[in-house]
Amino acid sequence: MEVRRFPLYASVRAIEYHLPEQTLTNAELAAAFPDWSVDKIATKTGIVQRHIASEEECASDLAVTAARKLFASGVCRPDDLDFLLFCTQSPDYFLPTTACLLQERLGIPTHAGALDFNLGCSGFVYGLSLAKGLVETGQAQNVLLLTADTYSKFLHTEDRGVRTLFGDAAAATLIQGRPDAACVDSSWIGPFVFGTDGRGAENLIVRHGGMRERESLGHLHMNGPEIFTFTLRAVPKAVNDLLARAEKMLDDVDLFVFHQANRYMLEHLRDKLSIPHEKFVLHLSHCGNTVSSTIPIALKEAQTQGQLHRDRLVMVVGFGVGYSWGATLLRWAC
Amino acid sequence: MLTGDGLRLLEETLELPPHSLTGRESLAELRAWDSLSTMGFIAAADRKFGVPLPGSQVYRCKTVAELIGLLETAVAKRAA
Repeated sequence: MEVRRFPLYASVRAIEYHLPEQTLTNAELAAAFPDWSVDKIATKTGIVQRHIASEEECASDLAVTAARKLFASGVCRPDDLDFLLFCTQSPDYFLPTTACLLQERLGIPTHAGALDFNLGCSGFVYGLSLAKGLVETGQAQNVLLLTADTYSKFLHTEDRGVRTLFGDAAAATLIQGRPDAACVDSSWIGPFVFGTDGRGAENLIVRHGGMRERESLGHLHMNGPEIFTFTLRAVPKAVNDLLARAEKMLDDVDLFVFHQANRYMLEHLRDKLSIPHEKFVLHLSHCGNTVSSTIPIALKEAQTQGQLHRDRLVMVVGFGVGYSWGATLLRWAC
Repeated sequence: MLTGDGLRLLEETLELPPHSLTGRESLAELRAWDSLSTMGFIAAADRKFGVPLPGSQVYRCKTVAELIGLLETAVAKRAA
């Protein structure tokens, strides 16, 4: 590997995402669960349809397509990459590491590092942190962060609460080292705040299929009200702690992109934090809650729709299963 | 906080006519009480009284009176 003589600053260079072909619409859900109307589902959740992976399609397959879109955009080639981070909770196998399979399928050089990490809705923020660490300590220059999950395979067909919310997706984010800082003493990514509280483990869990309870693959259990209460406690504090750490005011932030859990939760958090509507991204209507991919999908769509421009300051906040949460600031460099 | 305030909040959440709840109702019998409205009530209580009700305790309430009692306790605890 080339020896770098100057410090590099990590920045988000590009994002692409992929949704599987098959969809589940509100009309289909309303037909299956007659107590809920199409309108009620859309109004409360903000979701019109979710994309569902086919029987044979795994998170790695979705990630491959997202990564190939990134390469096709011309922003980088597989040869340029020196580290692959793969965030998933639905890996292909217990072992080997899915990132190793992805290295081979994507044609990433064998001198690249690759690892999986198991986080849900906070995963993108943690991935940015890991990538920044790799870049700014000189261990890598081009890091591919892939987030992908097929939660649909964990969902019980009779559980309308979770079937209404979750969709499958993958996102590919290129984090690149660059010689210039965003501005004097300012990073393109960071600072960060993190949080973990394992007391919430039981409230969002797939209990069976791991080593502790080895029966066949279990279903996702979600205690929605408890998860909601957790977000009310954790998210506003994380936002305020991050602002304090960055020595910024709420008004200094140009755009807020939170984990796209559901519209009801997001609008309540937005109002609780007094974030102006025009600065708050809501983007889940066409894909639902895609776990660790919601934030990169929302960032990409905000950019495509002209909500996000170069040099704007964006706050991203991930929170959920674990409990695990994290927040950071991005000076947008795309 | 008065019991009536809690009942009105629940009526608003469930889109029921004002003063239609007495407190004696079973939550299971209220057609509109489901996972979405449970979240709605937690959000409404947080917005109006600044108390994030513990989700599991809300979930375990069997009657409207129990739910309003939980809210009253949380509001009183916050004020203390």
